[in-house]
Amino acid sequence: MTCEDYFEDPEKNAAHLETCALCRALEDETDAVAIEHRPLNVDALPLATWEGASHRTWPLVAAGIVSVLVLAIALFLAAGTPPLRGIARAVTSSVTSFEAATKFFQLFGNGLHSAPVLVHVTIAVLFVFINTLLFLLLRRAPRGIDV
Amino acid sequence: MYRRVVLSVMALAALLSFFMVIAPTGATGDERLRSDTYVFGETTTIDKPIAGSLQIYNGNVTVTQPIAGDLLVAGGSVTFSGAGRVDGNLIYAASRITGAEDRVRGHIYPLLSLEGAALSMTKSAVVASLLLVWLIAAIVVTLMSGREVRLSSVEVRTSALHCFVLGLVALTSFVLTAIAFSYLVPYVIGIPLLAALGVFGILTKIYGMIAVFHAVGTLIAGSRSRQQLASRKWLRGDLTMVVIGVLILGAIRFIPVVGTIVWGLASVFGVGVALATKFGRREPWFLEFRAAEA
Repeated sequence: MTCEDYFEDPEKNAAHLETCALCRALEDETDAVAIEHRPLNVDALPLATWEGASHRTWPLVAAGIVSVLVLAIALFLAAGTPPLRGIARAVTSSVTSFEAATKFFQLFGNGLHSAPVLVHVTIAVLFVFINTLLFLLLRRAPRGIDV
Repeated sequence: MYRRVVLSVMALAALLSFFMVIAPTGATGDERLRSDTYVFGETTTIDKPIAGSLQIYNGNVTVTQPIAGDLLVAGGSVTFSGAGRVDGNLIYAASRITGAEDRVRGHIYPLLSLEGAALSMTKSAVVASLLLVWLIAAIVVTLMSGREVRLSSVEVRTSALHCFVLGLVALTSFVLTAIAFSYLVPYVIGIPLLAALGVFGILTKIYGMIAVFHAVGTLIAGSRSRQQLASRKWLRGDLTMVVIGVLILGAIRFIPVVGTIVWGLASVFGVGVALATKFGRREPWFLEFRAAEA
């Protein structure tokens, strides 16, 4: 019986202690550690972020949506624009069209090919430097704790 | 071992970037490319017909002769007069275009068309409409992944500086990667790569902003103690914190200049926290391979 067998299952391999002085010494050391049982006051602990997190206050959510919707409608009416059309136009126009973006990058890409070599080298150096920095920053583990 | 792998990958990436950037330069033999005209930060007049496209970056140009290709204007002004016209498309961003009526054969694309919308209706109404969209998106995402949003919110509050720096670096990286992908546009693969990058960037920003909404809501209206939480009926829960965050930041958005700056900073924090927590999953982005021990 080896020390590893003992550590894997101390109760089953208890006989190992009689033959191994090292394991016996470790066992004695472990027994010497006193575990003090103290009553735990949960209320004294700081509030955990997950406590009450699943609660859903629907009236507040509805009030928020309605107030913003009413505000948008009122502002569009004041501007003399039909509210529904105005909201739809504001939302759709906030997203750059795929076609326009494609055209832009086609022209920009073609333009880049005609740029001086110094511009290419600068872009390449910056690309590698910034992405290396991003890689190093992304390797850091998050710190916030929420069990 | 790990450092060697990283160094090798870095070296390979540097070489690849270098070749990716330099190689297409050899493809400038295209006639159309040769006939393109570029204006960088100058005031000039186009008094000869242009066979290709005209691109203007931060310049003021008067067009008096036809342009056979497209006209791209980014930061500057263009005035049409005389025989000036565009046979292709006109694409502009943060620019002033004068006299373009009936002179563009193709389409006119305002790249940042929010400005165009704001011109035709009051800016506040546009802001309120977009706030409504943010509110609905935030509610939907929080209902679907409340825990992830909460984890990211905790992260942005505990490591604000790290999130901010990461956000700045990530945004710069997005721009540089977009420029690098632009080199590949003539080789077809560039457009899908750019589209994928755009989708990833938009998703990162949306998720990150929702985490910031939660963080702001919690900072302003979050419970400080267990007793306070127990006594509350309305101001508790992830959904409430997100809604309060949207309303607070939304109210700030209406303030000229300040609103834009605050939302810009919130975007940086948002992108940073979304990447720092891997969209709230708190998993490592890169696996570390350790050498097998004998």
